[in-house]
Amino acid sequence: MTWSIAAPAVTAAFLAAIVEVVEAFTIVLAVATLRGWRPAAWGTTAGLALLAVIVLLMGPLLDHVSIHSLQLAIGILLLLFGMGWLRKASLRAAGIIPLHDEDALFAAETAQLDQQAQRQKRNLHWLAGITALNAVLLEGLEVVFIVIAVGAGRGLLIPAGLGALAACALVLVIGTLVHRPLSRVPENTLKFGVGVMLSAFGAFWTGEGLGIAWPGQDFALLLFAALFLAAGLIGSSLARKRRMEFA
Amino acid sequence: MRMLEELAAELVGMFVGETRLTISVLAIVALAGSLVDFIGLDPLLGGAVLLVGSLALLVESVLPGARSPGL
Repeated sequence: MTWSIAAPAVTAAFLAAIVEVVEAFTIVLAVATLRGWRPAAWGTTAGLALLAVIVLLMGPLLDHVSIHSLQLAIGILLLLFGMGWLRKASLRAAGIIPLHDEDALFAAETAQLDQQAQRQKRNLHWLAGITALNAVLLEGLEVVFIVIAVGAGRGLLIPAGLGALAACALVLVIGTLVHRPLSRVPENTLKFGVGVMLSAFGAFWTGEGLGIAWPGQDFALLLFAALFLAAGLIGSSLARKRRMEFA
Repeated sequence: MRMLEELAAELVGMFVGETRLTISVLAIVALAGSLVDFIGLDPLLGGAVLLVGSLALLVESVLPGARSPGL
């Protein structure tokens, strides 16, 4: 394991987990505010347990895949996923699509839970728990993919997993202390950064999967990240200019 | 059942957020792989096609958003 590849892998897992856990936390907080911490806690625990099962099932399966096939498959998926995040973050930075608003998400989730409670008088705790579980599972799925993608094939599953767990702990501690949606987290900047790193990993591993030996080996990753960052910023800047022209 | 559907939709959405970008990225990967494997191009040039192609696709994929908000 070299630091030139371990550091970006752990950082990508940590930052991506922050983005996703902040979103999941907003929904869990809405559940806790309306129905108490008990259904929110069991829903969250059940969601985390399901995510752990997915990781435990996927890990041994990946051991049976040849390293080149694994790099190619994961590289392509990372390229698609990372460029998708980077594209969206660029559009948000250009002001073309609105920024993610945790306060608005909290209000919408609270209103939806209230409506459900009025429609269905029974099993409100169950309903609230399922909502928390759903949020943790859906948001956590992306984190699981990122951890597996940046960690598999390089012996980095545990460091990347620990990076993601550290992000979970950080968000939970801060969220519990402030007891409100973490709307001041610079989500788009984080998403931009994670998109850059995942796209760089994607291009690097897709190339290796195709049999390309990149010059500078793992250090090429840093160059790729710089290039994707530049492309994202250029795209965002051009989009902003074009938007002004069309406005 | 609904949760499974949402899970499947989330999984697909992770990689196919924007169909045109997804197809273009897959095409670039296929092109780079074909150039190296079938045409016998130097693997580094194949890598350059992959990298430069991906960067160009990224910039290009952001621009239509400036004309059609919400893309």
